[in-house]
Amino acid sequence: MPIPPLIAKLPEVKSAVVSDRSGGVLEALRQKDGESVAAVVGFLSGAIAEAGDHLGLGALRLVSFTGPARGGVVAVAGAELVAAFVEPPGSLSSVERLLTSALERKET
Amino acid sequence: MEAILQGLLDLAGVGAAIVFDATGQMVDFRGRAIYDRPLCEQVSGTLNKAVDTVRLQQEEWESITAQFADGRLLLQNLAAPGARGHVLAVVADSTLNASFATVAIRVATQKLRKAIAGGTLEPSASGSGTSAPAGSQTPAGSRPPGSGSQPGYDSRTLASTGTTWSKSSSSSVGLSRVASANPASAAFLARCAKQLARHVGPIAKVYVEEAVRRVSPDAPFALASAKSLVEDLAAQIEDPADRTEFMKALEKP
Repeated sequence: MPIPPLIAKLPEVKSAVVSDRSGGVLEALRQKDGESVAAVVGFLSGAIAEAGDHLGLGALRLVSFTGPARGGVVAVAGAELVAAFVEPPGSLSSVERLLTSALERKET
Repeated sequence: MEAILQGLLDLAGVGAAIVFDATGQMVDFRGRAIYDRPLCEQVSGTLNKAVDTVRLQQEEWESITAQFADGRLLLQNLAAPGARGHVLAVVADSTLNASFATVAIRVATQKLRKAIAGGTLEPSASGSGTSAPAGSQTPAGSRPPGSGSQPGYDSRTLASTGTTWSKSSSSSVGLSRVASANPASAAFLARCAKQLARHVGPIAKVYVEEAVRRVSPDAPFALASAKSLVEDLAAQIEDPADRTEFMKALEKP
């Protein structure tokens, strides 16, 4: 799937990458090193999904992380992963909501 | 520390509260019956890999939240900014009141940080599920095989050097930040990434980039450094048989 236009237009979204779960880049926005981001995002979602599987939490939908200067969110869209990096990190929750609703619209 | 973790467990929807250290070893936990010690130890190792991966993108991470179909995982960094250290993991089902839990976890995080700073956080075998049978407990140091970080994998080193390395030239191997001396060298790097990915997954490309930087820091990678590179990469593979298989596959550059 392409990067949702609503996400791409947000000034808080500094970069975004769409990748597959094996770390292959499908699309990159304002991100020169999409390959490394895709690799990291693929491994991260795999590790978190594995933990959730052990704990009986069901399918992974979203992973987000925050730091003092920026945050990131990775949404699972079928076999693809949509990652967005956000500054400032306080804007992360609104980007999460937009991303989630964009993916839900795509599913319906 | 048990009292702090028990306080989290008392929150509606929380199934387990775990503290693990920078190596992925569980330090203590409180959990409902289904989340027994062996399970929490296994999950600690897996979550530590996730934390190490986040650090590749963002060394100074504060929290990680994962939303699943039937619940949530909330991780809080208990270490000082930029340092590796303990992590608090809270496992919750879909009934968790996220707003209330956020406040409670924040308070617990502060208390745990104080406990760590005061040196009162020691590995303990006393943590337990609320109704787990005593026989289900194992020593705190006995992680299940394969559940911890891989030997030789220092994510701090990776995070502090790998994602910002800019000495690059484009290649056709999916390793865009690696400079190679010639097409044969680039092809060998691609083979390395492909073989390593069979054992460690998609993070292999990042490992290869880091390894090239270590074995060939001042010049584009050339096949003369192939043996050193393979040995360096092999250290990322935990299983000895897999390690041997990897090295064998790359014997002939």
